[in-house]
Amino acid sequence: MAKSYDVIVVGSGACGGWAAMELSKAGMKVLMLEAGSHIDPAKDFQHRFLYQMEYRGQGKPGLLRRYAGSERNYRIMIDNEENPYTTSPETVYRWGRSRVLGGRTLHWSRASDRMADYEFKAASRDGYGMDWAVSYADLTPYYDRVESFIGVSAAMEGLPQFPDGVFLPPMPLNCAEAIFTAACKSLGWRSTHRRLAQLTRMHNNRPPCHYCGNCSNGCDVGAMFNTVAVTLPPALKTGNLEVRTDSVVARVRMNNENRAQGVTYIERYSMKPVDVDSKYVILAASTLENTRLLLLSAKGGLANSSGTLGHYMMDQVGGGGVSGILPKLKGGPSRLDDGKAAGITIPNFQNIDKKTERKDFIRGYVMNATGGQTEYPQFAASLPGYGSEWKKEVKSRYVAQARVWIAGGEMLARKENFVELDPEVKDHWGIPVLKIHFTHCDNDRKIIADFQQKAEELFRKAGGEVMPGSVRRSESGRRGALGGSIHEVGTARMSADPKDGVLNSFCQTHDIANLYVFGGNAFPSTGDKHPTLTMMALSARGCDHLIEQAKGKKV
Amino acid sequence: MSHFRLKRCYIVFDMLATRRELLDLALRAAALPGAAEFFSAWLKAAGGHPHASGSNAPPEPPLLRNYKPKFFQPEDFEALQSFTEILIPTDDTPGAREAHCAHYIDFVLQAAAEYAPQMQTQWRDAMSALRQVGFHAATAQGRAALVEAMSKPERDPSASHPAYPAYRLIKQQNTFAFYTSRAGMIEALDYKGNSYNATFPACNHPEHHVV
Repeated sequence: MAKSYDVIVVGSGACGGWAAMELSKAGMKVLMLEAGSHIDPAKDFQHRFLYQMEYRGQGKPGLLRRYAGSERNYRIMIDNEENPYTTSPETVYRWGRSRVLGGRTLHWSRASDRMADYEFKAASRDGYGMDWAVSYADLTPYYDRVESFIGVSAAMEGLPQFPDGVFLPPMPLNCAEAIFTAACKSLGWRSTHRRLAQLTRMHNNRPPCHYCGNCSNGCDVGAMFNTVAVTLPPALKTGNLEVRTDSVVARVRMNNENRAQGVTYIERYSMKPVDVDSKYVILAASTLENTRLLLLSAKGGLANSSGTLGHYMMDQVGGGGVSGILPKLKGGPSRLDDGKAAGITIPNFQNIDKKTERKDFIRGYVMNATGGQTEYPQFAASLPGYGSEWKKEVKSRYVAQARVWIAGGEMLARKENFVELDPEVKDHWGIPVLKIHFTHCDNDRKIIADFQQKAEELFRKAGGEVMPGSVRRSESGRRGALGGSIHEVGTARMSADPKDGVLNSFCQTHDIANLYVFGGNAFPSTGDKHPTLTMMALSARGCDHLIEQAKGKKV
Repeated sequence: MSHFRLKRCYIVFDMLATRRELLDLALRAAALPGAAEFFSAWLKAAGGHPHASGSNAPPEPPLLRNYKPKFFQPEDFEALQSFTEILIPTDDTPGAREAHCAHYIDFVLQAAAEYAPQMQTQWRDAMSALRQVGFHAATAQGRAALVEAMSKPERDPSASHPAYPAYRLIKQQNTFAFYTSRAGMIEALDYKGNSYNATFPACNHPEHHVV
């Protein structure tokens, strides 16, 4: 007889970690299943200098091809050979994933922006797509709760399209960021410190950032938010949480009363299937993995009475950008410019109200800018010349590097962008993999084109010298595809009416009362903010709902 | 109470620079009530990670110091070595010679046999291109003139040279080998990152706050 739990949480990323913490603190017996391996920050995070590694961060030639990531961080990424996926012929899409305890929180960019009502109610405003089933007011207490716990360093700005929250002091600006800030002012654009889940002072017993710049290699002291350092310790302290790593969930099992009975997972190394039962199941294995599990769990997909499961896949549009140097900084002294791995943010200022409406496209985007010293002078090999003069020029430009990139470009939701199970390809454990159908539309391209123009305008205003060949084409040439942002959302969208989507506003499936889906699945639109904080706020709201439901209250 | 004390410690942090001092302070502070948990993560990490910059940056492992080339034939290796030193000479800062760039390139290429054999082919082609334009046989002066001629297309798109692809390949890998070495990263460029810092240095230049 299978051991039974109150809740099974599939996945240990930002949302799974949050759910495990909230529910175990509420006294529920929680089982967390993670497909990847256990991680020990003190042992597994690599902050060595490049020259201390035989292959200088690249790994043995060809060896790391099967992994995402570098010699420092491939262990906290994914093995692509074990975990393949397929794409349709017209699709150009790179699905960035992690399979490890903590998931992508171990190396994420930490950007923590609140979405605003002009995004939640965008469809009402411009007539495209579907409004969210939650408003900013619904989510405010949950944004507050998440921010207060994880710690977000940021500055108050009072911008309605970029709502303020519960903030720790912001990180100071480096020289390049100061110059870009001045350039924004002169253009009449508002800018602020990037809002990051990275501590600037001691918070909830976690030390502040020591500005080593290794965020993407795993934070060794837990100064940046990640599951392993932040949400798991208090969850484990309750004694109510059991964590099983190397447990690859294959499907949700149903009982005869239209309730989820539990899940079946496969032991990663023994390949043995194991059944576990629970009163509630929460899928929090990342947006597309969640949808894959729903597709694997019933013919035609579990909780799919609306027929929308798998559809309306989105990822904020990427690509474009400018890099070069700020001549004002040329030849200056070395400074710790990359120590906070941050930058400034320029919140969207178009299509936020009637006054700022654009005729040629709907929705908008957020820009980021930073500059200064980096670990490796990426530009050097393409700087013409050689010899002592070239060396001097490299050093002089090294401290003056600068770049502008797109942080969140809204991508429109279209039904024809969808995921399904590949009829032939299976992963290492024999589980069918996802096939992704994903293209961009004209509006997506216009967003990137407009960003490109504004990015160059900003760069010029800052006195920047564009590195020849650095202006990345907004269209990659491969079938007119744009880039992505590893901000994939949608495929099980929330809806007020069960006919229109898979989830309700609590991220509970419309069809199955004890099945919740936490992640980006619920997003009916991408908005222009980084999605993680909103995913966590939705998870916190979903947890409250689940706890109330478990108490027998009608909700 | 302990919070108050920690706050004072934090102010002290601002004035400290080295990892050693931070560690000492952390050890002493960890003895304060309630502080142990706060510092334990920091200490654990500090013990295992070489977070010190500038002249405090850890030494480079000895791998390349006594390295004997395994991929290149001796005359190709000699040619490569001199090529890399023309590209990145030793001047007031170290160059390709001190960074053992040719040795590093050989080390990577011998390791490419298993998973990236096409890299080896590419480099064999590049070395034979160098031989064909007479680089191996040339005097030091002749070699400098050859590199000058080979590099022309970099600045002048109408120029061409049969060994230009070889020049680009060597420059690419040599640049990587140099600026990822301790000599290039720390001594030549004075990289400040990957270090323990109590605060992030804010821009304090009035001229950067106007455009």
